[in-house]
Amino acid sequence: MNMTRKLRIVLLATATALTACGSVNTTYTRTTPSATAVPTNTQVNDALTQIFLRAGEVRMFPSKGGPLEVQVDVINNGFSYRGFSYRFDWVDANGSVIPSQLSVWKTGNVPSGGSTTIRAIAPSEAATDFRLQVRRADE
Amino acid sequence: MKSLAARSAASFSIVSLSVVLGCGSPAKYVETGSPQSIVSVGDVDMQDILKASSGMLESLIETGILKTANAKPAQLVIDKVVNDTSSQFDVGELLYRMREQLVNSGQATVVTTFGANAEDKTAQEQLRAQAFRQGNAVDGMPSPDFSLSGKITQVKRQAGNTQQTTYTFRLTLTNIRSGLEAWTKTVDMTKQGTKNSVGF
Repeated sequence: MNMTRKLRIVLLATATALTACGSVNTTYTRTTPSATAVPTNTQVNDALTQIFLRAGEVRMFPSKGGPLEVQVDVINNGFSYRGFSYRFDWVDANGSVIPSQLSVWKTGNVPSGGSTTIRAIAPSEAATDFRLQVRRADE
Repeated sequence: MKSLAARSAASFSIVSLSVVLGCGSPAKYVETGSPQSIVSVGDVDMQDILKASSGMLESLIETGILKTANAKPAQLVIDKVVNDTSSQFDVGELLYRMREQLVNSGQATVVTTFGANAEDKTAQEQLRAQAFRQGNAVDGMPSPDFSLSGKITQVKRQAGNTQQTTYTFRLTLTNIRSGLEAWTKTVDMTKQGTKNSVGF
């Protein structure tokens, strides 16, 4: 057995061990974007990739009560369990932040290979857009 | 010689102690509920209360239940919210944040002069006296749409040195005219670890 082959076996075994530790297999049945998807994936993804996560779809739509609701699919394609903190702030049509008790830091966790959806409701109908802050959880 | 060694050891101890004390983190301000906050395994922290309050408000706004009230804005009475956990904190920390958001944004008002446990007894007496003088004892009194009540509970478990606590915040809005539950929401928070830490 030469060195290259040995190295390959070790790498394969390591990858298998890492994947087997609490990893999740996820299947998406939807193949087309949802009707409420908004074209902000790139910006949201930029924020999430810095903490080794990826944004799937970003949806924004009026809730039953009137104010907007935003949903962001967060995907973990890495080998380890990821914890993170996030906070949504809402802005009005002028771009000013609407201060509210709804904008607080919350936590999320995504297993390897899995996904989760983070969501928030705007404090009032005056909110027209959102700002998302994400932070890697302390380990 | 022995005395010199003893003095050196004493000096070394004092210097070491000073270094250790000097290395401690000095007090500083952190944003309330921010990821720099202290996380306690077996207690409700400020960030837990903020998250619970936010979750409750989101649900109230999302369902639009307050818009179904007779009065505009909806009139609420705050009933009992029981803290049934071993963690000591005032449930007002949760309720006042919710009130602030709902009242200041014009989505609801809180009636503080209603019932046997009225929050503001002086205002209630004044209102009653005024209604009595006008011979209008019923119409002069506030007529709230909803009553808010709730409970905070905990489930604690342990595996070896690892502790886990789930705190459940549950609130219910009852339609005072029908006596039926109009809205209810639970917000769970599970914390796990062997000791308290700084940051999450």
